[in-house]
Amino acid sequence: MYNIGNDIVDLNVAKTQSNWQRKGFLEKQFTMYEQNEILNADNPFLKVWLFWSMKEAAYKCYMQQHKKRFFAPKKFLCKIVSTTKGNVILEDEIFYINYIISDTYIYAVATKKNDVKMVSNSFFVEKNTALTKIINTKLLSYFSEDIQLKKNRLGIPYLFKKDKKLPISISKTHHGNYGAFAFSL
Amino acid sequence: MTKEEIILKLTTIVKPYVQNEEGFLKMSEETDFINDLEINSANLVDIILDVEDEFKIEIDNDSMEKMLSVKATVAVIQEKMNV
Repeated sequence: MYNIGNDIVDLNVAKTQSNWQRKGFLEKQFTMYEQNEILNADNPFLKVWLFWSMKEAAYKCYMQQHKKRFFAPKKFLCKIVSTTKGNVILEDEIFYINYIISDTYIYAVATKKNDVKMVSNSFFVEKNTALTKIINTKLLSYFSEDIQLKKNRLGIPYLFKKDKKLPISISKTHHGNYGAFAFSL
Repeated sequence: MTKEEIILKLTTIVKPYVQNEEGFLKMSEETDFINDLEINSANLVDIILDVEDEFKIEIDNDSMEKMLSVKATVAVIQEKMNV
């Protein structure tokens, strides 16, 4: 089983929910290298949220494996490899990132091995709908009816068949009008 | 500043970022920012910057790492204010 982590950023919401130009905002969560990349980018706003979603996806992947929560975005070192791939390094671990930047959202998935077989799905959801419920329904539609979705005390989701935990790593994310899930095969 | 005073100020700081109002109404020392208040993790940085401004302290990376709950945040604030 390969651990997986994902993160989605609704760009319209990110514009109003956070001000990346706020004093201290970049310094608290991005390394000097990343800050330079952001400030020299054609679109610094997109770079901020791409790096952020990469770090968050890698953190979720890490947390599944180590069962430890913490908030240290600066420890996750981001590097862009191509227009769809990147790496995140945390201490002696490397995470492989696949990302999408659309006009309205950024989506990143992290795994511990390159080219892990997975199902990954990101989608738009109308305002004022039960986003979590929609994500769960879409995710569960890939499995038989007796499969249930549960969360442990760290907030990590798992699939259960009766009371038996399935050996499938899953990750869910939502932000604004967007939701996504991913699981490894 | 007492623990209660710190929590009161902290309540005002986190309010704009809260996504789970029910969790916010029950906010106590045991409250977890992400699991109970559903605060977006990108806004945790805003909370940390707001705490620095409000309490006139500087929060280093090691302290920031723990600041996922009210309890841990109060402990960091108390430690930094007493330096």
